[in-house]
Amino acid sequence: MSAPLLEVRNLKKYFPVRAGVLLRKVGQVHAVDDVSLTLDRGQTLGLVGESGCGKTTVGRTILNLLPASGGEVLFEGRNLRELDSAEWRSLRRQMQIVFQDPMESLNARHTVGRIIEEPFVIHKLGDAPFRRVWVAELLERVGLPPSAADRFPHEFSGGQRQRIGIARAIALKPKLIVCDEAVSALDVSIRAQIINLLLELQREMQLALLFIAHDLAVVRHVSDEVAVMYLGKIVEQAPAEEVYTRPAHPYTRALISAIPVPDPTRKRERIVLQGDVPSPVNPPSGCRFHTRCPFVAPVCSTKVPQWEAVAPRHFVACHRWRELPK
Amino acid sequence: MAEPILKVENLSCGFHTEGGYQRVVDRLSFAVAPGETLGIVGESGCGKTVSALAVMGLLPRPAGVVESGRIALDGDDIASFTPEAMRGVRGRKIGMIFQEPMTALNPVHTIGKQVLETLRLYEPRTDQTTLRKRAHELLEQVGIPAPAQRLNEYPHQLSGGMRQRVMIAMAISGRPQVLIADEPSTALDVTVQAQILELLRSLQREHRMAMLFITHDLGVVAELCDNVLVMYAGRVAEHAHVRELFGSPRHPYTRGLIQSVPLPDTPAKSVLAAIDGVVPALKLMPPGCRFSNRCQYVDNICRTAVPALETCALDHEVACHRWRELVA
Repeated sequence: MSAPLLEVRNLKKYFPVRAGVLLRKVGQVHAVDDVSLTLDRGQTLGLVGESGCGKTTVGRTILNLLPASGGEVLFEGRNLRELDSAEWRSLRRQMQIVFQDPMESLNARHTVGRIIEEPFVIHKLGDAPFRRVWVAELLERVGLPPSAADRFPHEFSGGQRQRIGIARAIALKPKLIVCDEAVSALDVSIRAQIINLLLELQREMQLALLFIAHDLAVVRHVSDEVAVMYLGKIVEQAPAEEVYTRPAHPYTRALISAIPVPDPTRKRERIVLQGDVPSPVNPPSGCRFHTRCPFVAPVCSTKVPQWEAVAPRHFVACHRWRELPK
Repeated sequence: MAEPILKVENLSCGFHTEGGYQRVVDRLSFAVAPGETLGIVGESGCGKTVSALAVMGLLPRPAGVVESGRIALDGDDIASFTPEAMRGVRGRKIGMIFQEPMTALNPVHTIGKQVLETLRLYEPRTDQTTLRKRAHELLEQVGIPAPAQRLNEYPHQLSGGMRQRVMIAMAISGRPQVLIADEPSTALDVTVQAQILELLRSLQREHRMAMLFITHDLGVVAELCDNVLVMYAGRVAEHAHVRELFGSPRHPYTRGLIQSVPLPDTPAKSVLAAIDGVVPALKLMPPGCRFSNRCQYVDNICRTAVPALETCALDHEVACHRWRELVA
């Protein structure tokens, strides 16, 4: 079998915490700690977790928008850390990102045409007339009129701006797009439009999507596989259906039971977690979830749980998953 | 059914802008009884927050105005109250919590100072020690661990969920009969959201408050609300009991909203039933039904005549010209 499109091995990202007049390093934020993932061509990997769990940092570290503190990222089998700058530039074209807030990620002073054209300019592709045609094609592809090219981002609604962000991301025909909360800020009716657009593009272009979001219902809908993160670590990973129907980790269970379902006739057993996510500066010892886990045992606070296979392609990091009530 | 405590009738309000007056909320009517939760759902810009602010008498002056309509609270028409009189209503009769507790709390004062300030407003003659005890009890009541310590902390030292609990404590400190919650859990993580919803539910039961719950999240509505008002572009599209609304939605907009949310049994990666287009700008609203330019069932009449709110079943009203034909 050929190498997966994206392979992340033991990725780590720590941010220093500085204090005092000399800004001495007094600790570090363990934003991402030993995260491993694989993603195949044309597939979606959903990465879910609550704020501060490190999911956004994973996305940015993979794209080298943030330098990793440790671990490896392989794209089509090539280790991104070992590339020279020319190789890096050519690989960069194949991996793009769509951000949550398109107003902040689109330059407000540039016309939409110029924003979408920029990737071509950076990579020295085509000349002005060609680029104009390409921009028009891209706009059409994402459902905007060609006249949009002459307007500015503020003239568009949130959903339309996200379409512009997507047009820019697909301009260079990438193989991977990191969608960082790409639909989270949108109204439901618009969110559905954008999700449909992303899935269409995925089918057409054989795009791999790393779909980072906190909305579990949306993640389930778009993903083939789902990884659940808690405080910098992946606690469970499995095919999307499996995660939602047979969650093994207590955190995953709590997350899923907390999703409000738009169906008043469905009454469910809800696991309400106590407390908040602890600080990633001094993450709890052993299993990081043990301070909030309803099934905590003595071993959980002393030993870091290892990755165990629950079923084929279904992994969990929990000492007690076997004993938990079904 | 208990008598409604808050009754809004034909409320229209809007803002004076450079381009002239813009009506944002158009003839809104609803009622909530003690112990009942009315959900107001709609997308950004549909007028749900403006309606709540109008009820609270908090529309930014002088731009924001209540044009017409009645807001009857416990028999009084508070729409006609002076700003001074409204001060006696807010907090004591109607409490409100907002989406972003960080902006609603003052960052340079301790939690204790802010809670005490609120309490002193309601009980100016009570001594400091008693008030402090009350503040402590309030924080305990909203589930804040180690309240004594929290009272001396600043807002930034608290997590988002804890800050929202403080806001809730302050909102109920005047023992209001009506609680308006404007997207109180939207900025929170799901597990924390679940805690906050649970808290609101139990407080409401305990105090028999009427609750106006404003949200864009249909899931939250389904779990928390008894009745639901669906708003679109400043008007009521549909108004029904929660089971009725989700069981047999009549307005094409409501249907579209419900279908555009993936459910646990929606086939993965299937095409979601999105509503085409976007909400038009206020100035460009279609003259008839405001949803007509996005509606898949649009007819000639929809483009010219404003649909009235008609009763289509028990506890169920809809503002659509074609609801009868769409029943099947």
